[in-house]
Amino acid sequence: MKKVISLLLVVTMLFTACKSDQQPTDNSAPNNQNEFQQGQDVTEGGKYAEKQVYRYAYSEEATTLNYLTSATQVDQGIAAKTISTLVEYDKYGIIKPGLAEKWEVSDDGLTWTFNLRKGAMWVDYEGNEVAETTARDFVSAAQYLLTPSNESETANMFYSVIKNAQEYFSGEIDDFSEVGVKAIDDYTLEYTLKAPIPYFESMLTYVCFFPAYGPMLEEMGDQFGTSNTTMYFNGGFILTEFEPQAQKIYKKNPKYWDKENIFLEELNYKYNKESVALGGELYKRGEVTHVNIPVSNLDEWMNNPELKDMVRPDKLGNYSYFYVFNFKPGFSEENEPKNWEKAVNNLNFRNSIKYAFNRVAAMMTEDPYNPEYRIINTITPPNFVSQNGKDFTMTSKLSDVSNGKYYDEAEAKKFKEAAINELKEQGVTFPVKVVMPYNTGSSYWAQEAQVVKQGLETSLGTDYIQIVLLPHAPTGFLNGTRRAGNYGLMKVNWGPDYADPQTFTDPFKRDGNYNFPEYTTSVDENGKNIYEKYETLVNEAKSELIDLSRRYELFAEAEALLLENAFVLPYNVSGSEGYVVTLEHPFEIAYAPFGISNLTFKGQKLLAKPMNTEEFNKAQEEWKTQRASKLMEASK
Amino acid sequence: MRYYITRILRSCLTLIIVVTVVFLLMRLMPIEGYFGAGFDKLDEGQKIAKLQNLGLLDPWYKQLAKFYGDLAQGDLGESITYRPKVAITKILGDKLIVSLKFGVISLSLSLVLGLSLGVLMARSKGKAWDRIGTAYVVAANAIPAAIFYLLIQIYLSSFFNLPLLYDKGNLKSWILPILCLSLVNIAYYAMWIRRYMVDELNKDYIRLARAKGLRNKDIMVRHVMRNAFVPMAQYLPASILSTVSGSIYVEGLFSIPGSGGLLVTAIQRQDNTLVQALVLMYSSIGIFGLMLGDVMMALFDPRIKLSSGGGSR
Repeated sequence: MKKVISLLLVVTMLFTACKSDQQPTDNSAPNNQNEFQQGQDVTEGGKYAEKQVYRYAYSEEATTLNYLTSATQVDQGIAAKTISTLVEYDKYGIIKPGLAEKWEVSDDGLTWTFNLRKGAMWVDYEGNEVAETTARDFVSAAQYLLTPSNESETANMFYSVIKNAQEYFSGEIDDFSEVGVKAIDDYTLEYTLKAPIPYFESMLTYVCFFPAYGPMLEEMGDQFGTSNTTMYFNGGFILTEFEPQAQKIYKKNPKYWDKENIFLEELNYKYNKESVALGGELYKRGEVTHVNIPVSNLDEWMNNPELKDMVRPDKLGNYSYFYVFNFKPGFSEENEPKNWEKAVNNLNFRNSIKYAFNRVAAMMTEDPYNPEYRIINTITPPNFVSQNGKDFTMTSKLSDVSNGKYYDEAEAKKFKEAAINELKEQGVTFPVKVVMPYNTGSSYWAQEAQVVKQGLETSLGTDYIQIVLLPHAPTGFLNGTRRAGNYGLMKVNWGPDYADPQTFTDPFKRDGNYNFPEYTTSVDENGKNIYEKYETLVNEAKSELIDLSRRYELFAEAEALLLENAFVLPYNVSGSEGYVVTLEHPFEIAYAPFGISNLTFKGQKLLAKPMNTEEFNKAQEEWKTQRASKLMEASK
Repeated sequence: MRYYITRILRSCLTLIIVVTVVFLLMRLMPIEGYFGAGFDKLDEGQKIAKLQNLGLLDPWYKQLAKFYGDLAQGDLGESITYRPKVAITKILGDKLIVSLKFGVISLSLSLVLGLSLGVLMARSKGKAWDRIGTAYVVAANAIPAAIFYLLIQIYLSSFFNLPLLYDKGNLKSWILPILCLSLVNIAYYAMWIRRYMVDELNKDYIRLARAKGLRNKDIMVRHVMRNAFVPMAQYLPASILSTVSGSIYVEGLFSIPGSGGLLVTAIQRQDNTLVQALVLMYSSIGIFGLMLGDVMMALFDPRIKLSSGGGSR
């Protein structure tokens, strides 16, 4: 026995010796930021945390740091923190100067000239100054983006608006100087558009308009941004360490042109694949400052008075989720596509489902504590864009829809009777089979589909409709369902690409792959095809580039038409992370209606203790009021 | 010698078949998988540009020829979706080392502890030590690993004040993951060595040795241990080599940047080059690990001869 023990001891010692070459790297690097903070009360009387270090455990790793090619939000989030843009959003969502101090647009709305600020430096991952950011860096980045072999997934956003950019991308022209992006001198940048775009400024906050240091791009080629050593930074933070599936560490950039508005000294991201399971524990031990509480763990937090005081809902996102009816059924014969085609073109049939759809009950699967919070009555979410201080969803006819009624069983039964009478004449057989797919990769969705099925079948009766659930694996999900028209009623989503109501008409374009509305035979009281009416309104709105109020009204009218005719059943706006425990103040950072500007951490301070739900709601109300008046001010 | 040569040749053939089949299967995957979530927002020009760049629009035999051509020069290519444009060798190099370190340490620990426990159990067969050991073996095999990993992580870390997550600079953070990785293996080795030893103890030559008056300790170490270890030696090389594949769950829980689950992720993301490289590596490990195992067995037991056909055992 003694021998065994001594053997063990020897072995242990050996291991310790083997491992000692792994001695911790010295972390006591000089902390120069502290000096600059000295002498002022960073906590502002106990409101904020003394140590402004953000720590977070993440489970999804970025694939690349190359912000000129990636269309993934996780990847772009890194660029948002480390790269400066021409213009920025303030905390109310109003555009303000960024790298561009001022800018002007020509009378025809085609030429935009930006005057860049001086002294905005590029630094490497160790913080060494490399060069000044100049107008040429925007041109170099654009050329990189438009070179097809670089496989940029955001190039189309750029060439959809910039003159000759698509021609260069497709190889029709070889001379890059013909493309509508020019460096007049080091500090003057000029974009020439294909057509006037009222929302062009908003697009500048998206990755495809980000600058990159030209000589670096040339040297690195497709290796640009494969690690933090193959790129330079000019934003609020420097990515000092990037070890995939291990950690990302950002340090405040002391050379940043607007460093007065960066309050966090360090952002410390630690990878953990099981962070959803471990997050709560990590927070309780003080190892992270932000954690997402999944619905499955929510009860544990909400039922404990102490923990409950730390949890709050997250700010709403900008992805819109809605159920659509399919007008070009591609499902199998057993589910009677011909029968569906007749039924779905009947307004009363669609309305019966619209009014029988209990959205609150369905949302309980995702947010059992406050299901109404995320539910919206329009396709375009509220607080997305506004004109003259008026929110888009409150514009002309759309405001009726916004204030309209949805779930109403009595109403649903009335429409059902009407539909049965009309459809029987057309030889429709009952029950009508409604194919409804869901992604088996999402546990919420599976539950939600069950709730929707039961709800609709109970209120309308199984002799009227029969919901056929179609579970589909995550691999090739959209190809197998939505894009193939393999559904009758399905939940789909759309995220905006720029700050203009037009972006939410894109899924309903002719030859799209959402719900194929161009195949409808539904007509209005004058016998005019509903989709043709919609298309006319949208085209008219798109060509209205001068009178923006009129533009918004037309888009609002178009969306209202789709909703009044129940082509689309609005459902919810994304709840971001759902419920969080976090030291972040949610309303001190940039508010952006789309894209990645809300991921910059600029203006972010950590609170001394997390906000609870009441405090969050109060802060949100305050923010909304302030925002309304700021928007009014800005529109003048 | 001839035996080894034919065996190596046959192994290589198996390897080529496996890799080729996987290569061709990956080409049957839907093209949307190469684009990720942004697929809906891309236009045709962008999609074609990318597919062309990846060589996916070429006929399959051309792609296959190119793959083996590059492989012959030791070029495994660049990742497509997992970490676009990063060399596969770089990705694997970083990850395999980490998993290998953890694997080898935990395997050595399991061998030492497992064998000691097994010997102890065999020597005190039917007595207290044997019962305690058996209880441990049963528990380690019966309780799902996922549960006790989580329990170990949460409770032991707070009890002994150890870090919850792995931190490469902090040696303390190695303890719990290694413990998790070793627990089941210790039980495994203890169980088998005990079994083989008990078998051996009942054999005639042991009785002879006892009759000769050899000390119990000498019998155990020189005769019983050695003979009992032979069947286990066969799997040892394969176990050591396959530690590079890491552990999905332990690495996930403790934030260890190893290769656990890499193959699954690579397949889900349709990273063809990465899948090919991993399949190539894992199959070679499997095939050559077994071969080495046979060699090991022959070394431990002179009665076993691999070269002459038949009759040796």
